[in-house]
Amino acid sequence: MADLGAISLWIALALAAYSTVGSVAGKLRLSPALVESAQSAMYAAGLALLVATFSLVTAFINRDFEIAYVAAHSDLAMPNNLTWVAFYAGNEGSLLYISTVLAIISAIAIWRAPEKLKDALPYTTAVLMLTLTFFLAVMTVMANPFDKLPFVPLDGEGINPLLTHLGMFFHPPALMAGLIGITVPFAFATGALLAGKTGDEWVDAGRVWAILSWALLAGGLLLGSWWAYTILGWGGFWFWDPVEIAAFMPWLVLTAFIHSIMVQKRRGMFRMWNIILINVALGLALYGMFMNRGGSVPSVHSFGASALGWVFLLFLAIGVAVPFAIFIWRYPLLKSARELDSMLSREAAFLVNNLLLLAIAFVSLWGTVYPLLSRLFADEEITVARPFYDQVNGPLMLGLIFLMGIGPLVPWRKASLSSLRKSLLPPAVVGLATVGILFSLGLHKDYALIAFGLSAVVTAGILLEWYRGTRSRHRGTGENYAIAFLHLIWANRPRYGGYIVHLSIVMLALGIVGTSFFSTKLDIVLSPGDSVAVGDYDVVFLGSVETLMSNRTEFTSTLEVYQGGKFLETLETTRAFYPSFNMASTRAAIRSTPVEDLFIVPSENLADGSVGFRILVNPLIWWMWVAGPVMLVGTVVALWPQKIRAPAPAPSRPRFAPGSRPSAA
Amino acid sequence: MIPPHSPAKIATRALLPLGAILAVFVVFTLLAAAQTGVLHAQTPEPASQEGVFTEDQARKIDRMLMCPVCPAQTIDQSQVQIALQMRVIVRDMLADGKAQDDVLEFFVDRYGNDILAFPPKSGFNLVAWLLPAGGVAAALVAVFFIIRSMTRRGPVPAAARPVQDPGLISYLQLVDRHLDMTRGGPRPVDTSNQPGPGVELPGTGAPAPEES
Repeated sequence: MADLGAISLWIALALAAYSTVGSVAGKLRLSPALVESAQSAMYAAGLALLVATFSLVTAFINRDFEIAYVAAHSDLAMPNNLTWVAFYAGNEGSLLYISTVLAIISAIAIWRAPEKLKDALPYTTAVLMLTLTFFLAVMTVMANPFDKLPFVPLDGEGINPLLTHLGMFFHPPALMAGLIGITVPFAFATGALLAGKTGDEWVDAGRVWAILSWALLAGGLLLGSWWAYTILGWGGFWFWDPVEIAAFMPWLVLTAFIHSIMVQKRRGMFRMWNIILINVALGLALYGMFMNRGGSVPSVHSFGASALGWVFLLFLAIGVAVPFAIFIWRYPLLKSARELDSMLSREAAFLVNNLLLLAIAFVSLWGTVYPLLSRLFADEEITVARPFYDQVNGPLMLGLIFLMGIGPLVPWRKASLSSLRKSLLPPAVVGLATVGILFSLGLHKDYALIAFGLSAVVTAGILLEWYRGTRSRHRGTGENYAIAFLHLIWANRPRYGGYIVHLSIVMLALGIVGTSFFSTKLDIVLSPGDSVAVGDYDVVFLGSVETLMSNRTEFTSTLEVYQGGKFLETLETTRAFYPSFNMASTRAAIRSTPVEDLFIVPSENLADGSVGFRILVNPLIWWMWVAGPVMLVGTVVALWPQKIRAPAPAPSRPRFAPGSRPSAA
Repeated sequence: MIPPHSPAKIATRALLPLGAILAVFVVFTLLAAAQTGVLHAQTPEPASQEGVFTEDQARKIDRMLMCPVCPAQTIDQSQVQIALQMRVIVRDMLADGKAQDDVLEFFVDRYGNDILAFPPKSGFNLVAWLLPAGGVAAALVAVFFIIRSMTRRGPVPAAARPVQDPGLISYLQLVDRHLDMTRGGPRPVDTSNQPGPGVELPGTGAPAPEES
């Protein structure tokens, strides 16, 4: 299997390199046959990588410890379903995973590319295959997953215990796929530029692939947070760790891109800006992959720190410099088809939204780079962690929620002050009322008050839009409200999918604000039979059982939870110690309700049977985990192929999409 | 209808919303700053009166201090012995009537600046705080000018008249459909798909000239 995998990798490398050169040469020498053969080479490279992936999976299932990578990341005790996790647990395997994903999505993207992009496709193929060539070259030369050991060990070293969690099945692969996926919209943009197709031909394909990447990154980040919350044992889910930020920054820029590409799609504007955004997103994605692989900043994720980092840094430099050179070369062709009509328009709101998103990305980038600068220029070690990001990014994020509330209510092109007042007044009233009610209920933290108020504005704005649209449909067609509502959403999917995603962002905000400002924490040692009051819960510790497993010792503690003297439920929480890793892994006991989580995790098992617990009450965090599925639904709705697009308002008169508010179709 | 688009008119129209956004932004920043003491790095937080403090205050300090032996964790998160001891020290000092800044200073004196979870707001490290603020402010100004330059160019077509009565919508859709039919196609002429200046003409297949 090792040989089959290694050979497939070399074949894939040769095919990808040929495909890169062949597409460009075929395009320049006007040889359709060469272009076609280069395209076939790309599909073949995908097949070769599938064979390589299959080889590594088989090697894992057979526990083929002759392969160094298999020996380092699995052992005989590992259940087979963890193969999927072990596969990308190290540098070599994750590179293979990334390459395979890139090859497959490249093939699908080119295969499904719209006819109008035909002229640009050879360049798009070349960009995609050049990236694949880089990854394959690095893998075959520097980090080959099929390298053999000089001997065959009896057992492997085993999988990192922190990775044996459901969240790990999806979090790293989703993030890696999301990061590499940015290459596709980037390749469409760059291909169009190189071919001189500087209009809006690439917009649809770019938008769809950017949203896919965006959703993968969002899902990956959420699952990572969930993993951290349930297993790391400190009761939080996000720490502005450099590697978290590395995935967060491209997500922010993609968010900006997804919004501003709508302006180009509908109005033919922001052409330069969209190219810049997708270039920046790619640069940040490459930076993220660099940070993952021997980046320069200390991180809890520091996996696979190696010389590979410098190769990635070089690729990052090229990946930033060349696209911008192409952009500057094509700059004269990138004129907008239209002018901005007014400062009071959806277009202008999108610009400000882009600004805030980029500002948050910039602050985050600055935070990850600053420790290096201070080491260089002030010869001082400085930590940049959560308090910095909270203080600087916090207000920017509130500004973003504010904009999320008003942006969708501002019509395209130009709003009149009176219509604006009419559409903005009800949400504003709801927001102010929310603040007033919360304040009178005794909530006096101004930051949280603003956040809740803005969340209410966004929610009210969206619900009001839905209600108005449904009502006008109901009146116009006689459908009952439920049917009218579904038809309303289905008639303009990008718009209503966007609304659903906005709601999920509000849910995220609720969870973040709830835990950041209102959580209660207690670290306490309990002996069996002890009870303790946390928040309005009473927790009784019944006892702890020790179980010896083949690769770990598990301590399972049982606790009973009461509220106001009433028994609620029995919770179990586990702490496992892995001697071969000298590492403990915990499974928190969580009683989750929409109002608050009761979170109990054992931090220490003492010899006398008593246990050190960390007990937390985290308000509203339930909403964070619900946000994920809601976001997924919104993304699917927004991406669902639409045959007849809601047309943009023609310049001479307004048009009306079914159900949407007149000038905001 | 809207009066002619004199620069003065555009400027006032422009100033209104941006002024509003700017005001919101400034308010947020000030609020954030006031709450966390960004602007008042020199004025200490009000010292706790006779050692009365809330757990919230103590945890806020916990979150500002890194655990010296564990990578990338604050003493609020970490469960190791030294983090536990540091948490006790924080509470002891608060109980002695010490202010937040005194507590932080106590640890900085012993461990150096990197015990703080954020760059200190003094000396060279002020750069860490001022650069993002300056960058965001500059970007706001830049966006203002971009929007203004984009709105100034060319004549502005008549604005879409918002329709007040939602009941009219279905009727207007019908009108739209009929207009489309008389134009001979289900899709209206969408100018966004027409070539802009300098863009290759559809069907020619030849690259466009470099300059338009």
